[in-house]
Amino acid sequence: MDNNAAAERNIRTDIPYAIEMSHITKEFPGIIANDDITLQLRRGEIHALLGENGAGKSTLMSVLFGLYQPEKGKIFKDGKEVKINNPNDANELGIGMVHQHFKLVEVFSVLDNIILGTEPTKMGFVSEKAARKRVMELSNSYGLNVDPDALVEDITVGMQQRTEILKMLYRNNNILIFDEPTAVLTPQEIAELIQIIKGLAREGKSILFISHKLTEIMEVADRCTVLRKGKYVGTVNIADTTKEELSNMMVGRDVKFVVDKEEAKPSDVVFEVDHLTVKSKIHKKNAVNDVSFKVRRGEIVCIAGIDGNGQSELVYAITGLEKPEPGSKIVLDGEDVTKKSVRYRNTHGMSHIPEDRHKHGLVLDYTLEQNTVLQRYFEKEFQKSGFIRFGRVREYSELLIDKYDIRSGMGPVTIVKNMSGGNQQKIIIGREMDREHDLLIAVQPTRGLDVGAIEFIHENIVALRDSGKAVLLVSLELEEVMNLSDRILVMYEGEIVGELDPRKTNPQELGLYMSGAKRDKAGADHAEGGERQ
Amino acid sequence: MIFLLQKTLIFTIPLLIVALAGVFAERSGIINIALDGIMIFGAFVGALGALLLRGNPFFVDHNQLTFILAMLIAAAAGGLFSLLLSFSAIKLKADQTIGGTALNMLAPAIALFIIKVFFSKDMLEMQMAPDSTGKMTDFGFVILNDDLGPVGSVFFDKAYISTFICVALFVVLSILIYKTKTGHHLRACGEHPHAAASVGINVNRMRYLGTTVSGCLAGLGGYVYIATVANGTASGAVAGMGFLALAIMIFGNWKPLGIALGSLLFGFLKCLGVIYSQISIPINGQDVYFLRDLDLPMYFYNLIPYVAVLVVLAFTSKRSRAPKAEGIPYDKSARESR
Amino acid sequence: MKTADKKNTAVSVKADKTWISSVVASIICILGGLLVGFIILILLAVFDQDIPISEAFTGVVTVLGGPFSAGNTNDILFQLGNMLFMSAPLIMTGLSVAISFKTGLFNIGAPGQYLMGAMGALLVALSIPTDVVPSWIVWILALLTGTVLGALWGMIPGFFKARFNVNEVIVCIMTNWIAANVVSWVFKATGDNFINYAETKVNFIRKTASNGVATATFGLDKVFGGSYMDISIFLVSIVAVILYVVLNKTTFGYELKASGFNKNASKYAGMNEKRNIILSMAIAGGLAAAGAALWCLNGSQDFKWDTYMTLPADGFNGIPAALLASNNPIGVIFASVFLKYIAVGGSNLAAQTSFNEYVSPLIVAVIIYFSGISKLLRDFLVKKLEPRMFDRDSKDRKRRPGRKVPIAAQNSGEGGEEK
Repeated sequence: MDNNAAAERNIRTDIPYAIEMSHITKEFPGIIANDDITLQLRRGEIHALLGENGAGKSTLMSVLFGLYQPEKGKIFKDGKEVKINNPNDANELGIGMVHQHFKLVEVFSVLDNIILGTEPTKMGFVSEKAARKRVMELSNSYGLNVDPDALVEDITVGMQQRTEILKMLYRNNNILIFDEPTAVLTPQEIAELIQIIKGLAREGKSILFISHKLTEIMEVADRCTVLRKGKYVGTVNIADTTKEELSNMMVGRDVKFVVDKEEAKPSDVVFEVDHLTVKSKIHKKNAVNDVSFKVRRGEIVCIAGIDGNGQSELVYAITGLEKPEPGSKIVLDGEDVTKKSVRYRNTHGMSHIPEDRHKHGLVLDYTLEQNTVLQRYFEKEFQKSGFIRFGRVREYSELLIDKYDIRSGMGPVTIVKNMSGGNQQKIIIGREMDREHDLLIAVQPTRGLDVGAIEFIHENIVALRDSGKAVLLVSLELEEVMNLSDRILVMYEGEIVGELDPRKTNPQELGLYMSGAKRDKAGADHAEGGERQ
Repeated sequence: MIFLLQKTLIFTIPLLIVALAGVFAERSGIINIALDGIMIFGAFVGALGALLLRGNPFFVDHNQLTFILAMLIAAAAGGLFSLLLSFSAIKLKADQTIGGTALNMLAPAIALFIIKVFFSKDMLEMQMAPDSTGKMTDFGFVILNDDLGPVGSVFFDKAYISTFICVALFVVLSILIYKTKTGHHLRACGEHPHAAASVGINVNRMRYLGTTVSGCLAGLGGYVYIATVANGTASGAVAGMGFLALAIMIFGNWKPLGIALGSLLFGFLKCLGVIYSQISIPINGQDVYFLRDLDLPMYFYNLIPYVAVLVVLAFTSKRSRAPKAEGIPYDKSARESR
Repeated sequence: MKTADKKNTAVSVKADKTWISSVVASIICILGGLLVGFIILILLAVFDQDIPISEAFTGVVTVLGGPFSAGNTNDILFQLGNMLFMSAPLIMTGLSVAISFKTGLFNIGAPGQYLMGAMGALLVALSIPTDVVPSWIVWILALLTGTVLGALWGMIPGFFKARFNVNEVIVCIMTNWIAANVVSWVFKATGDNFINYAETKVNFIRKTASNGVATATFGLDKVFGGSYMDISIFLVSIVAVILYVVLNKTTFGYELKASGFNKNASKYAGMNEKRNIILSMAIAGGLAAAGAALWCLNGSQDFKWDTYMTLPADGFNGIPAALLASNNPIGVIFASVFLKYIAVGGSNLAAQTSFNEYVSPLIVAVIIYFSGISKLLRDFLVKKLEPRMFDRDSKDRKRRPGRKVPIAAQNSGEGGEEK
């Protein structure tokens, strides 16, 4: 169903490009974000825009939306040059976008969100009747299936995304941009989304599909433009290329798709969770419901699942940031730590790479060196009768900088706020891996990083496992789950619905578990694990 | 009893309108901690306006018209004054709490400075003046009538025209913020400015609008407060009413209905502190002044509303839901973090 | 390693210069405030026929001159002494606000804490007969009582914040008014023992000197033309230095600042964030209260007990003092003295020209207004002075292309064999 689909989709090569961004250059102080980039989108085409984080995709789209004015270059719509000074101009040209982080007002209804900004009024008051009819028609004809009166905060991520699509259709946009649209979806939802996108293209809409996931691009796109470090690398026909060629274009070298690792040799149990239940702060059900599992030395256990199925709350409870319900039990190195403080867990064998490095992992206004002792400043090594031993802190931070290749403008005294995301993450990785611990909890450790940094972190995690530590990995990225883990536990709606062996399963099966379509018998028994050696 | 309810209503009105002022600013995304200062400023300019108007005999004869004009002047002054806050918060992206604090200190300083320079006094008093028929007029009541029955008395006897205007304003604005396009846009800016901007709403304009409406209402509320509660005296203070209104806004969960309820409750408590000694219940045909007879000092009644605020906030904090983006400067190019 | 050392010391010396930006930013704020004050004087002179324009200029000079506008040497010394004495409580409330800011809280409750401190100090200083207990012990007891009372009072907003997550600004304001009523109530109830009937000042509490309790002066009051000058300014300066050390050199300060910068990260790091909030507010309350106690214990001050309608200005003025000092405790000393300097200038203005003393709070209010943007200003200045700090590290990538070997393998021995 891939490439002969192009013909079926009625791509127009006989008329001018629907959108042409010609030789765009956009500079920021000290950095050229877009360097002479050309992007040509045909009517009825699905055109992928591929590049790593920081390659310049977002900047290019911001230029198309009038958020930035380029220093050089022109934009043509249907062959005519246009000036786009603000999002309203883009809107009037029929350009619409589904952003990676949805632009939806959570306390508004779906319908209110769709009509926001173009509300029809009667005598000055918003009149929703006609709008509702139109939205329902669009929803039905494209199979989008939304409930117009539900509040956005109450609906699933998938439905939120469909709300965003309806927002564009309601505005009669015919150039539709999808920014990393699959990041939050299950494989099944991704398949649905791809059908929707293909349907839209058949109707004559031109589609720009931004992604760094090669598999999807191979499946959905007709052509693909690749950016690297702000520069234009090339545009290829998907029919004439391979995944390997695309990845080479994106990264500039060959990329291993598989993490090298030996067979796991799990030994004794280090960590155990028993009947863990956590109340939800958002809805009435439990965020984590009666979850039990064990982690052994020398294995990487991965919690897989779609975002928002209780993974965050599970980690908060394990690390002590949130209180579990009575009856829950958390055992670390044979000791019940359920009621212990975060500090106690930190000092008794638990390391934690948090999900959100800005929210939890770092004090952004502190210096690099201050952040390296965030959980250790009170230890004898760094403290004497209440005073911090700054010399020791400096030495230690230099050690970490060296070991983990943390790069910054001013070394240990760099304010962390001024560092790049990848190097910020390396501070956390270094700090958590270097601390004495038996269990490492790594939550989305590679989020938002480029391929080089991802490889680096993956190799370190595997090395940690081989040195006899236990690793609990929480990841939303299917590839990471499949590549890195020795054992997969799938979480769905707060429960562990299946345990899988990465060598024996495939993304499709994983997806069925993740979407709740398939589940093993409930309870703790399936999550015992580790008996296989 | 009727007297108590009359007084409660009088205390409620400024709280009601100023709390609504808070809603307009915060729903657009700007924390308006300066309500107190804007009230002071509005009260001062309103009183100044009323005094100047009453220099003309026509306005002495038409004291209700003067009252309304002074309210308008106070509202305009409040709106202008609030521009200082919106400018620093929106254009300069300054810390909104600090900006608000500055306004709170600036208002009494300006008021007292000017009053002292031009009147050589520490407060501005709006006194009664004889009209063309020789009757003394103040800026006061609409109806003085004892024959209205219990319900009628509460609302119409010794009533101020500001009461009706403010209630009407409250109802109309509450509907506007929920039912009109502009209200829709304004609320979106307080919740998710990037979402609003992505559909072409001018976030900064909405925030200027919200803060200015807020300033107008607070200025008006300030004048109503001094005219109806504080015996027509502008003295560079409104006894913390602006902060009380802010607390009521939080208590009311940024929603008009909750605010109406909160204002009534705190209006009642606040007025209790002032008139407790005059409250009587008839027992066996005799008026018993039971609160006065309790012999508690007035300080006790004075601190009840503040303690009540604390208790209420402690209990309601769980379900409290502030506009999501309030207090965060809007930066169109900033990438959102989740 | 060694080369790295060299590089980093060079770098850290540079980094320390950022405080210059803070000072420059504060000075810009002050100049802005003065300029606005000047404009207002001129406008008034223009609108008011009775005031000649030239008087606006005289006015500015008078305000800027502070105590030096007083005229003869003795008056100047007298005003200087009073200025330094009055600075002490302001420094304390400034420190109070600064430490709360450092913990990410806004202590606008200093006026209430101040009143509680004054009450505590006065009750003790006037109740214990000095013919039984030595007066210096009474002095210490009074100071301690006031401080503790203020600390407890400051804990209330801290507790509400930590336990119920109620905005501390609202709670602070409420506790201010509650304190104002409580203080009036207490003195009303116990009044006969404390109200200054002797000097027929029925609105005021007796001076503590009437019981022989007064802060040591070591003759400074005489040096400064018979002013109120005592050693309190030196005592509070020591407090400021201690606070500076605590904030910057100790683990406790590290925790407080971490909580202030990022509450969630401090929680993640295992710091007891709720305890820190309450503790920080207690310290803040204690500082403000101690400032008030020092003011009362001077011995010759009139404390107005019937205060239920007003809050002490020094409580609020701690906010501009802290903001001007960018929350640096040492800076608070200078900022507070400066604010009092301007205030003295204001009262000289009222005495010598057609303007009045309210121009000082006006200027101060404008200064706070500008302080709101001082963080931006500071960042801007840092960017100008320290362009290197803002270099994205992306450049370094080219310098060091190779990736490192995973290191966890190397140190497997350390952690793995721990148990």
